[in-house]
Amino acid sequence: MSSEVTPLVNRRDALKTGVAALVAQAALAQDTAGQERAGPYDLPTVKFNAGLSTTVPPWAFRCRLPQPLVPRPTFIGRFEEVDRKPGTFGPQDQRPVGEVFHGVALEWGQTPEHWSAFGCNPQKTGQESWKDKQQHFGTYQLPGGKTIRNWGHLPIKCYKIPILELTKQLHPESAFPARMYGYAGMVPGPLLKMRLGQPVVVRYENHLETEVSIHLHGGHSPSHSDGFPSFYVLQGKARDYFYPNILPLHEERLEDRVTFQPDLGESQSSMWYHDHGMDGTGYNVSKGLAGFAPCFGEQELQWLKSGVLPSSGKASWTDPEECLLETDPEEIAKLEDPDHPGFYRKEKEPFYNQFDIPLVLQDRVLDPKTGQIAFDTAGHNGYLGDTMLVNGVPYPYLECLNRKYRFRILDGSNSRVFRVRLLSEQDYFTARDRGIEGVPVDDRDPAVILNRGSLYDQVSQSFLRIGKDSWLWSKALARRSIVLAMANRADIIVDFGKLAAGLAPGEEKVFYLVNTMPQFDGRGPKVALDDGGDPRVLPLPFDTIATADGAVPTTAVAEMSRPQGLLKIIVRGITPEQAAKLPKEATIEEGTPLLQHNHPIQDHEVVAVREFIFERGRGAWMINGRFYDPTIANATPKLGTAEEWVLRNGGGGWWHPIHIHLESHQLISYEKDFLADAIVDPADAPPVTALTNLVNVTGQIEKTEAVGLHDVQVLGPNTVARIRMRFRTWNGPFVFHCHNLEHEDMRMMYNFEPVPSPKSRPEHDPNVIPDARTHGNSVTLQPTVGQTLPNGKPAEYKFGELPFEPLPTPQAPASDAGTLQIPPRGGK
Amino acid sequence: MRRELAALLNGLFAQAPAAPPRLRISDSWPNVELVNQFGRNLRFRDEFLADDRALIINPMYTTCRGSCPGTSATLEDLRATLAPVFGRQLSLISFSVDPVVDRPARLLSYAKLYGAGEAAGDFPEWQFVTGTPEGIEALRRALGFFDLDPRVDRDPTRHAATLLFGNSRTDRWSTLPSGLRTPLLVETIRRVAGTTFEQRYGIRG
Repeated sequence: MSSEVTPLVNRRDALKTGVAALVAQAALAQDTAGQERAGPYDLPTVKFNAGLSTTVPPWAFRCRLPQPLVPRPTFIGRFEEVDRKPGTFGPQDQRPVGEVFHGVALEWGQTPEHWSAFGCNPQKTGQESWKDKQQHFGTYQLPGGKTIRNWGHLPIKCYKIPILELTKQLHPESAFPARMYGYAGMVPGPLLKMRLGQPVVVRYENHLETEVSIHLHGGHSPSHSDGFPSFYVLQGKARDYFYPNILPLHEERLEDRVTFQPDLGESQSSMWYHDHGMDGTGYNVSKGLAGFAPCFGEQELQWLKSGVLPSSGKASWTDPEECLLETDPEEIAKLEDPDHPGFYRKEKEPFYNQFDIPLVLQDRVLDPKTGQIAFDTAGHNGYLGDTMLVNGVPYPYLECLNRKYRFRILDGSNSRVFRVRLLSEQDYFTARDRGIEGVPVDDRDPAVILNRGSLYDQVSQSFLRIGKDSWLWSKALARRSIVLAMANRADIIVDFGKLAAGLAPGEEKVFYLVNTMPQFDGRGPKVALDDGGDPRVLPLPFDTIATADGAVPTTAVAEMSRPQGLLKIIVRGITPEQAAKLPKEATIEEGTPLLQHNHPIQDHEVVAVREFIFERGRGAWMINGRFYDPTIANATPKLGTAEEWVLRNGGGGWWHPIHIHLESHQLISYEKDFLADAIVDPADAPPVTALTNLVNVTGQIEKTEAVGLHDVQVLGPNTVARIRMRFRTWNGPFVFHCHNLEHEDMRMMYNFEPVPSPKSRPEHDPNVIPDARTHGNSVTLQPTVGQTLPNGKPAEYKFGELPFEPLPTPQAPASDAGTLQIPPRGGK
Repeated sequence: MRRELAALLNGLFAQAPAAPPRLRISDSWPNVELVNQFGRNLRFRDEFLADDRALIINPMYTTCRGSCPGTSATLEDLRATLAPVFGRQLSLISFSVDPVVDRPARLLSYAKLYGAGEAAGDFPEWQFVTGTPEGIEALRRALGFFDLDPRVDRDPTRHAATLLFGNSRTDRWSTLPSGLRTPLLVETIRRVAGTTFEQRYGIRG
């Protein structure tokens, strides 16, 4: 509902609303499970209600699931047609790329020094550097034998996205719409469809009263375009985000030479973008600043074309404006949605796919009286909501055909961990009313019952999981549930043809996507619904299979007896007319090979090991005993090398999903201190001890998942994850942090800065923090002081990043980089 | 209950306002009765939230041997650094989490150590406040200075060493550990609690 719609309240509705509000208030007063009363001066402001968070309101499932629109580019052209040319961000905006307050990344017109290793010439700038890079970024062959140019063969797409405040009816029983923040005034944000090899520049213009910074999560972007927390887009200003959509190159050592090939295993599928402004991320994201950015590489397009993945036919692997922006008004009228100028009609969008549906799961506290989102700044432990939103709407429904669908599910909440399951309507109703124990089980799959032993698994519908985070897995796996921590994504294929077998044309069968994870505070999921926070039984953040010797017990994460519906899915039998128009059903099934990750990081490649302990201290959140400081570098890996990082949970029963920017990481081992689980006194978490008592559970995790790529590694209580990552391509500051947004805002964040080490300089030692940022203070291309601005006024201060006041201290103590450092191996 | 219902229904039958109401984060903070270091009685909301001023709030107690002296020294620094930026539009509030021991006279002698022993003049004011144990507890919980671990929470020596700051006009609030370097605190407090571009970033917008 848009802002101009003033809700009309008649007498009966008003009475109903009033009574509902009073009932809600009474319920609030009674239901204080998991939280303390605020005391004698408590004001009737709505706060998180644990009771509401496990049930579904009577008004649920009446609103259709919205699907985000795809924006049309403002310009498509080669570098020379975009660079320094006015009007590339629409006729209203005459400022060329980079000539906005915050500029554009240096990498737009320059080549990083260390790219000389790839054969590039860093001396070249502008168009010359662009051509040079295109030459050196390689080609690769698809399995069919087709040769693909890796990068830059497709022209640059320019977009302009204003960030606006909007109003949107969230609580259907409230007289008022909620005030929210949205990219292009939409919640969730517009679907930014990326194509690997096709560079994109997005001009984000901030019209909010808060400063923002936009992070493309899963993207492989230069520092300036990565949403570094203090590289803001200030109020009323704009920044040009340059997304090269480039595959990192993998070094292949042949007998006589070293070559660099595009690392195809890094081809992203399901990225998303969200706010990353320092100290305000939790609030901004809860107000709506998040959106999907699916990415299409050649391999994925091939899977769509060959019918492995569900598609809508040719439209699913083509882009109507791949190389040229349509300017003919008649053609534009055919492409654009008349209700949303600047956005594609659904079926005209690039890679249109009615069987590929993004779902972002979020939780919010909604005030039924005012209709607003109630944010709790005091909730430093993690902001939890009691109303579940899918794609920005509480408890929507979705209509499907009895075909295979791909869902990209994202946990976009601040602090909530979901366990997602799919239940038939009958099972859902029975479990909702009587608990899962009351659901009768037939003998549909005895093998599952024997292996899993969970009551839920006996009735949950089976689907294929094909990926985690930004990347697809090496093969499709059959699954009945997904544990989804903050910022994690799950790519799944649901075969409604099979689940609703025997459905006549036009007939309906209903399924519910449900959450069964009990969680009542920011610490993490609880063991049982009535458990007020006893962290003694601390599960792993995923299901493991027990070992024969008992070293690893079966550690299924707890589930609520009564599932909470999130999304109602109405499957309708396909009619012959519809069937005739659709392509053949996708061929994907359990075990179908997908994205191959052929380059595991070997022991000999690792040149440094760092340990990072994520812990609570002094009422806030720390890493290695230190609060986040955006002006220093806490770790400085050498570009072109690989490192092993030990990510360690500092205790207290907290869950910390750790997100590392820039690069994917590979999981080497996942270890758990079961002994600590057993001895933890709920009132006295033990101090951090040496790495002892750890049991490696890596073998108990599904292998496909373990060897897949990750960008968020969730650390459950008393766990240690060892990961490895390569540092390639971009230098400059990047962050890694806990993706519980309240922990992140309270400074559970660190900087790492990949440092180039070209032959022209002394070799960089990853144990030593360099004296200054590798970019210096200028990570942007910007007009200097004394020049004239496009509006004719003289530039009074430098554009780009505001200097800190006083100027940053460049050096950080070496202890910041961890205690487990080893000297660099090889070379010397 | 009946009066509440009547008020609510009256409100609903009145003409619906065109714009949705603002739900401010600070709406949930209690209007507790407090007394400051000069012995003046005040109520939290009436005193600090009525005129949309910028606030910096921290929990402390005078006999603290841990983080409080450091935090108070940081606040003294911040007060001087932020004075040219905010002037009297900023209030510093240190509330005692040991309200039985910390009565106004004791707070005053503590405040004197950090230059807050007399009326502020053009400087941002700095009030040290105490109250009833129940009132202080309500304030502490509402402002988020608590720990989920009950033993840590009960122990005043392990209280949060954090600063809550912001301003109710823009409804932006943020909490940071007071142990951060002062320049970082200054940058963030200006950005979050400031209301104009110049106040926030030190440059004209």
